[in-house]
Amino acid sequence: MITLLLTGAASAAVAAAPDAQQRNFVACPIVRDTASVPCWLAEYEGELYFLTLQTDVSAPVNPPMLGHKVLVEGRRTDKPRICGGIVLEPVRLSVVPALDANCNQLLPAEAQYNLDFEPPRPPGPSKGRLAFNTLDVQQAPVAPQRVEKQFSIGYDFDGRVGFKHPALLQPVLDYALAIKARSIDIEGHQGAALLSDGSVLSEAAHLAQQRAQQIAELLQGAGLTAPRYTVHWVDAAPAPNGTDDAPQRRVDITVRP
Amino acid sequence: MKPLLALLMALLFNGLAHGETARRWINPGENGGLAADGSYNNAQGLLGVLNAAGAVNVDGHPFFAPLGRNGRACVSCHQPQDAMSLSLESIRQQWQVTQGQDPIFAAVDGANCPHLPQQDPASHSLLLNRGLFRVFLPWPPHDAAGKRIEPEFSIEVVRDPTGCNLHPQYGLSSAQPMVSVYRRPRPAANLKYPTHQNFGVSSFIGKDGLPTARDPDTGKPTSMNLMADARAPSLRAQAADAAAVHLQRDAPLTRQQLDGIVAFESQVYIAQQNDKHAGSLIEESGPSAFGPRALLKGEAGVLGNNTSRWVFPMEGKWTALPRGNGAAADARNAARESIARGHDVYMFRTFWIRDSMHLNSVGLGNPTKRTCATCHGMHMTGMDTANGWMDIGSTNLPWARETPLNPWTTDKPELPLFKLTCRNDIAPHPFLGRVIYTQDPGRALISGRCNDIGTIVMQQLRGLSARAPYFSNGSARTLRDVVDFYDRRYNIGYSEQEKLDLVNFLGAL
Repeated sequence: MITLLLTGAASAAVAAAPDAQQRNFVACPIVRDTASVPCWLAEYEGELYFLTLQTDVSAPVNPPMLGHKVLVEGRRTDKPRICGGIVLEPVRLSVVPALDANCNQLLPAEAQYNLDFEPPRPPGPSKGRLAFNTLDVQQAPVAPQRVEKQFSIGYDFDGRVGFKHPALLQPVLDYALAIKARSIDIEGHQGAALLSDGSVLSEAAHLAQQRAQQIAELLQGAGLTAPRYTVHWVDAAPAPNGTDDAPQRRVDITVRP
Repeated sequence: MKPLLALLMALLFNGLAHGETARRWINPGENGGLAADGSYNNAQGLLGVLNAAGAVNVDGHPFFAPLGRNGRACVSCHQPQDAMSLSLESIRQQWQVTQGQDPIFAAVDGANCPHLPQQDPASHSLLLNRGLFRVFLPWPPHDAAGKRIEPEFSIEVVRDPTGCNLHPQYGLSSAQPMVSVYRRPRPAANLKYPTHQNFGVSSFIGKDGLPTARDPDTGKPTSMNLMADARAPSLRAQAADAAAVHLQRDAPLTRQQLDGIVAFESQVYIAQQNDKHAGSLIEESGPSAFGPRALLKGEAGVLGNNTSRWVFPMEGKWTALPRGNGAAADARNAARESIARGHDVYMFRTFWIRDSMHLNSVGLGNPTKRTCATCHGMHMTGMDTANGWMDIGSTNLPWARETPLNPWTTDKPELPLFKLTCRNDIAPHPFLGRVIYTQDPGRALISGRCNDIGTIVMQQLRGLSARAPYFSNGSARTLRDVVDFYDRRYNIGYSEQEKLDLVNFLGAL
């Protein structure tokens, strides 16, 4: 059984002063080929920023898509430029769903932009492992303590469940099955992003509800039908500050024995 | 098996298969047997068929017996000589031999549509020209519990050359709305690979996070790699569905019949084992990639897109082979070197993979600079390890092979064309937008999802020389057509030598 509840709305999105090192903007991504893996870049106010490298599905930051703009939320660093771009770290990338044929810049390799380090993953076959360990699914202990446990599921801007989420949902499922959970509380949130130009991007209306309901459906669809589900959502985004906006895009799950 | 029984079986089947290289069509209900080690000629050499459990007595065997109203058996569309699939060569031969009376031409799906005059070969043109059977699926789809799935898109029929999708009895507007698409049968062999429980199998689909289909008998998540649209979660479910639909069996298969079918399918391995130019592919000193025994020995569900396990292990063999031992030996060594080079093209030749749903959308970026083995990465088969449906453009426009419409062209389009419009309340397809034209919506006919339109489960790359044509819609008549499709689709720019080597490598699998 699923019970749906609207939790009290948080304050409406109001812009605060952006951090001087933070670079939050929407732009077309640019691909630059190299002798090994391609780099992903984006321009903002006449400056070129390095977003990420092509690696594999396990990467903490996955490349965006030509054919779409990307929301970049990153912090400018003093690290040596990569592929000509200022390194943003940490950086969050959210592909804008709308198609944009103007985003189609694929630059050829130039010797000056070749990587001066070995990439985590070559363009061809790997050496037998994923480039990162972010997809390692944590196995539930054989007999975990039957205690209340919380999980948080993060999202890209305006995002729903996608390829990153199996690694986040599997521990929830495993734990709930292992402790024979009697109730699962799901609370959806949505956010807004304060851009470096002072404007605010808000996620789609009702996204918090849709996220929370989808998580309940997915857990049930994966066979977790015994617990009683309570689904809440917070219908408005907290005021964005340009620094901590990404964590607001989440669903919190509480599993109770 | 006891020695005496084994001897009797060997005697019984001697001359039927063991050591025999001639092609041999097996009719439903035929008596006789299959030897443990069978081999069959094809244009590229010799296909090996290994029954790992020993010789098979086909008398009354549920895989070989007609179980339904139309006289077909499983073997009708899964012939050993055709790598447990069905080649266009065999289909045409059966039309000639039986004057179109072989059960494979049954009206239900061996014709373009059941209402057409069945004696006319034109009514079976998709089977006779492209090796395609009609697959008719209810619309809208329903989930495993029978609950209606609300589709994310609407379907319009743009072109209906078979007349089936607009037919008042069989079409989308009929009392029981159906979508008819046309697909090739897949090999019923090496099945430990597409049904594995290893890498990539979890409770959630790795490509979109949705729940994985579970085996109705065990409750376990499956690899969702069976059939072109992954609609069957297990071999038993596939057999039950095929018996009801393709064999037109009215009653459910018995448990004994299901057990017999699955047991047979689960022990039969196929692979090319001799190449007309390269000679034996299974010499002990050669690479361990080839021949059906390699499939038997291989570990299922292992990611091979790496230099520790490899998709098809060559062990660096067949490079820089000696010359000067006579023209025949030199030619054989040259052919083996070509196969090895083709392997290296498959594993290491990068190109830009772009706008391919469930590849470019799963964290690799669009485009991604990768190789054939990126997608075709499962050890020993070249399938995706799990949830292997992708859109490479084999059925979706603008990349699908369409008949050119010119005033001077007499050819007419053979396949239906659908216009699918994705709803406004969901995100558009990231590469094709909201309006998509397709010859076959693929997985989307099962999931109802916009992002699944035109996605097809990739199949194993084994026994290819025995089962042309290729792709789910038979749009590639030869392996060269396959390579040319990829070259065009991804602007790869293969050299002629790379194409030749790649074709030779694929043909040796």
